[in-house]
Amino acid sequence: MEKTLVVIPSKCTGCGTCKLACSMVKGKGEIIARSRIHIHTTGPDSHVQTTCLQCVEAACMKACDTGALVRNVETGAIEVNADRCIGCGLCEIACPFGHMHFNLQTGKSEKCDLCGGDPACARFCPHGALEYK
Amino acid sequence: MILRIDGKQIEAKKWDTILSAAKRNGISIPSLCHHDALENVGACRLCVVEVKTSSNGERKLVTACEYKVAPHIEVFTHSEAVRRSRQTTLDLLLARAPENKLLLDLSRENGVESTSYSTSPDANECILCYLCTRACEKMGCNAISAVGRGQGKSIQPPFLTVPDACVGCGSCAAICPTGFIEMIDMPSKRVIWGKEFERAKCESCGAPLIPVAYREWAIANRELPEDYYLQCQECKRKELASKFSGLGVS
Ligand code: FES
Repeated sequence: MEKTLVVIPSKCTGCGTCKLACSMVKGKGEIIARSRIHIHTTGPDSHVQTTCLQCVEAACMKACDTGALVRNVETGAIEVNADRCIGCGLCEIACPFGHMHFNLQTGKSEKCDLCGGDPACARFCPHGALEYK
Repeated sequence: MILRIDGKQIEAKKWDTILSAAKRNGISIPSLCHHDALENVGACRLCVVEVKTSSNGERKLVTACEYKVAPHIEVFTHSEAVRRSRQTTLDLLLARAPENKLLLDLSRENGVESTSYSTSPDANECILCYLCTRACEKMGCNAISAVGRGQGKSIQPPFLTVPDACVGCGSCAAICPTGFIEMIDMPSKRVIWGKEFERAKCESCGAPLIPVAYREWAIANRELPEDYYLQCQECKRKELASKFSGLGVS
């Protein structure tokens, strides 16, 4: 079976290393706000990380009519084929979990693709709060 | 099937065009009006290459985005004829949009510094690549088309009035390679083609979302529950996070 990116909120300290790693890999380090993984503070000293769930019945894929969202059979991740994206932005608004990102500069959607099978967020999390297994 | 591009033997599928086969094999051919999800129309002529078929050995210029591969053809992407064709095309495109950054960059890469034609006072940055009209058609709206004649011809809504079919999705602006199509998102409205579209609001925090008309269109045209379109991304993420923490995930 393909691996899953597991979030372990009890170990998350909210340090943001995962977000930094994601934006370094995906946004060329420019804008941390464009990280595809997010951290939410849910109480004093309690944090939860959220990222794309790679849904089996994915709303983003149903919203896309141009075949720009494709499941990678090896990693199970849904990937954006930017060459097929026409920039309608519907996938972004359709995602019920807020994890599709429409890039206004490029006019294309972006999302977590599990870095092709070696997610940087999990690799760099110093607290073991993200595991890819 | 096997063909040769610039002397290199490559493998192509029978449905390939020269452009798609080249791309898969890491050979780059400049193109402006091609898009993988839209039908090719051969509007920009930038992708012109030279083809030699084995039957008569003649060489001819074709558009790589439209020309279907055939066994044993030979393709030249850098010959003198191709270079000249590309330069003429860019020279003409620049005459329409002399200041456009994308065109200037492409032109300089191909040895054209500025246009040798006079530029018209009604020139605008529309290069008539038809990406926007095809994207609009793909969405099923067909709200824009070419309007006018000669140098002043450009893509516009018919009679310069935005038809109801336009729901303000913004695909045309997103796909426009030159930035001719302007879309402005303000907190309460989106303005495109001079028409104002009221924006929907996030049910939880009031943040602006897509236009109301676009949301209605999406509800009618995509098989997704209506409540998927009610919140902004931030609120959706927060809700997910609170579900996770409520589960006591550890
Ligand atoms: S890309 Fe082939 S004619 Fe424009």
